[in-house]
Amino acid sequence: MAMHAPLVGAPLRRPASGSHVFRPVLVAVERCKGCGLCVDVCAPGVLALDTAHVNAMGHHPVLLLDPDGCTSCAKCARMCPDAALTIFARPRGA
Amino acid sequence: MTATEPVLEQEGRTIYRRPALLSNPTSYCPGCGHGIVHRVLAEVLEELDLGAKTILVGSVGCSVFAYDFLALDSVESPHGRATAVATGVKRVRPDKVVLTYQGDGDLAAIGTAEIVHAAARGERFTVIFVNNGIYGMTGGQMAPTTLAGQKTTSSPRGRDVQTQGYPLPVTEMLSLLPGVQYVARVSVADPGHVGKTKQAIKRAFEVQLEGKGFSIVEVLSTCPVGWGLTPSESMERLRDVVMDAYPVGTFVDRDRGIAPALPQPGAAHRSITEGF
Amino acid sequence: MTILDRPAAARPAVAAAPPASARGAHHVPDRVLMKGNEAIAEAAVAAGCDAYFGYPITPQAELLEWMARRMPEEGRVFVQAESELAAINMALGASAAGARVLVSSSSPGISLMAEAMSYMAGSRLPVVLVNVMRGGPGLGSIGAAQGDYLQATKGHGHGDYRVPVLAPSSIAEAIDLVRDAFILAERYRTPVMLLADGILGQAMEPVAPTFKTLEKGRPDWILDGAAGRAPRVLKSLHLRPEDLEEHNLALQAVYAQIEKTEQRWAGEELDGSEVVLVAYGTAARVARTAVERLRDGGIRAGLFRPITLWPFPAQALRDAAKGARAVMTVEMSAGQMVEDVRLAIEGAVPVSHHGRMGGMVPSPDGVVDAVRLVLAESKEAGR
Repeated sequence: MAMHAPLVGAPLRRPASGSHVFRPVLVAVERCKGCGLCVDVCAPGVLALDTAHVNAMGHHPVLLLDPDGCTSCAKCARMCPDAALTIFARPRGA
Repeated sequence: MTATEPVLEQEGRTIYRRPALLSNPTSYCPGCGHGIVHRVLAEVLEELDLGAKTILVGSVGCSVFAYDFLALDSVESPHGRATAVATGVKRVRPDKVVLTYQGDGDLAAIGTAEIVHAAARGERFTVIFVNNGIYGMTGGQMAPTTLAGQKTTSSPRGRDVQTQGYPLPVTEMLSLLPGVQYVARVSVADPGHVGKTKQAIKRAFEVQLEGKGFSIVEVLSTCPVGWGLTPSESMERLRDVVMDAYPVGTFVDRDRGIAPALPQPGAAHRSITEGF
Repeated sequence: MTILDRPAAARPAVAAAPPASARGAHHVPDRVLMKGNEAIAEAAVAAGCDAYFGYPITPQAELLEWMARRMPEEGRVFVQAESELAAINMALGASAAGARVLVSSSSPGISLMAEAMSYMAGSRLPVVLVNVMRGGPGLGSIGAAQGDYLQATKGHGHGDYRVPVLAPSSIAEAIDLVRDAFILAERYRTPVMLLADGILGQAMEPVAPTFKTLEKGRPDWILDGAAGRAPRVLKSLHLRPEDLEEHNLALQAVYAQIEKTEQRWAGEELDGSEVVLVAYGTAARVARTAVERLRDGGIRAGLFRPITLWPFPAQALRDAAKGARAVMTVEMSAGQMVEDVRLAIEGAVPVSHHGRMGGMVPSPDGVVDAVRLVLAESKEAGR
């Protein structure tokens, strides 16, 4: 069965002001072509294409929906044809 | 409004970042395998610290612009001639790392003579052969590696082997030649296979650095636009159909004693790199 | 002094002329008999050719064979490629990497090289290509011919480009022109063609055995790995029409400069001549004999011998033909250079062509008869 990247229209989750959330995945939004391959390979399923936004090329860039669910496995980055993803290891306690 | 978030780099160790040799964003279609191969190639060249001594011999196809995306000294080749051009480059600069980057139309159609003879001569450069079974740049025509029954713009009823011949197994063909030192077929179907692609490309460059013979990695890839599929569907087709037609694996690695099992010629006529 | 430094209209140093010793010089310079193909090859070796790529084809196989022996002796690169197509592309790569490169072939093989010539012109890569012409079209014959003039001078690959074409008329001159070809190729970053024919390639003539060397520069455009500098890209693709036009304008400027400064020719007995024969290569030697015989018979004939076929020495030819009653090309073809001669003369003097094809060589008497006929016809027509 073809797996299509789940398209999400949910608003961006913003941290409460004064606190910050550790984000293991940094997206180079202008490089992302919305191909969805990273979404396909993400095991915990924390990525989705952001239909609420388009970048300058006209694509829906990928969005890290659930930072806490990300395990920094970097499969997304290793699949990305556009090298649009940078992955960080979760520091202790973050 | 963009979806970027502030980077907390100082908090987390970097597990993966884009290699610096990838200079500019690519113009490849969304989900195109070329992007993955470029990225992996750049990673390997950086890890082996070869960028400053590498010369890229480009080819004609979607990847004609590879010189815009990889920060390497590069020369363009006429369609199909990259392995002849690379022969000229490597023969006069044997101390540099030379690679060709070719698609299936370039290498397996118009460039078949050149690849066979470069491999037969054991030329000491590396060929990255990206096989997506179609002519992408020119609009999706049939290629020598297109599968039987596959619909393309020049095989609209599906490739008819009676009139249009059978797909060409380039890797199998080349693995028979004594001058080849390393021959592997890999794919970019999923992160595991992408990892194997990276290993194969790394091994190919190691073989070049050892200067013993010809190295080639055939990377099975996708062409979502040409195939008429989404990027996700394309990876599925790659995994389920294409990899079934073109088996992945290491076909030749002489240093590790891997070579096709065939009736062997006499010792005097075997590969000069055996037991090197 | 190379041919490029000689003043215009200088007499050619033709090996067919008696050596200086016959005229009572103090000492006899050593000479060796060399086959044209081999002399051309050795001249390239002496001029510092780093790499040779070729493929066997008659009548230039000896050039390949000479290089097969000499290049490894000198520690340089020799590859017999799987085809002429592969050979010229190997040359493209070697040139891109900064090597001084020679390729040789004969007519059918040169046709296979047309594509790469266009690419090298577009990417501005210097290569010297020797065409030892044979009869055509198609597989033709292995005899000497001059049927590739149009191919050589009109750019024979696709696109707006030209390559300098040098045409030796003797083996001694060929030796000089090989070195000059490398100079031109590197000075202008362009492929250069040396247009010889099967007779020049196969004949043996006495030549002085020491060939001149040629220093090598270190250009700033070659590929040798981007260590400590920005990467370089050598390409001919410029997808935006505006960019490609700009690139073509730059190429045209180079060609304009070559046309302005690199024309070479030689003239004999041109002063006050009533008939000007125009010929190059082996045909020029036939024409020279015809000139002598015509003069013996009271007809004031002269010979204009282009040495650069491109850039064609049009103005010099116009000047040489002023006051003549007839201009005739002598070519081993159906008449190809005659088109450029007509363009140069611009109708001032009637232009005709005499030649043989298929590997046949015109005879001096055949030329004499043709000239007499043309003069008789023009007399009848009251010219």
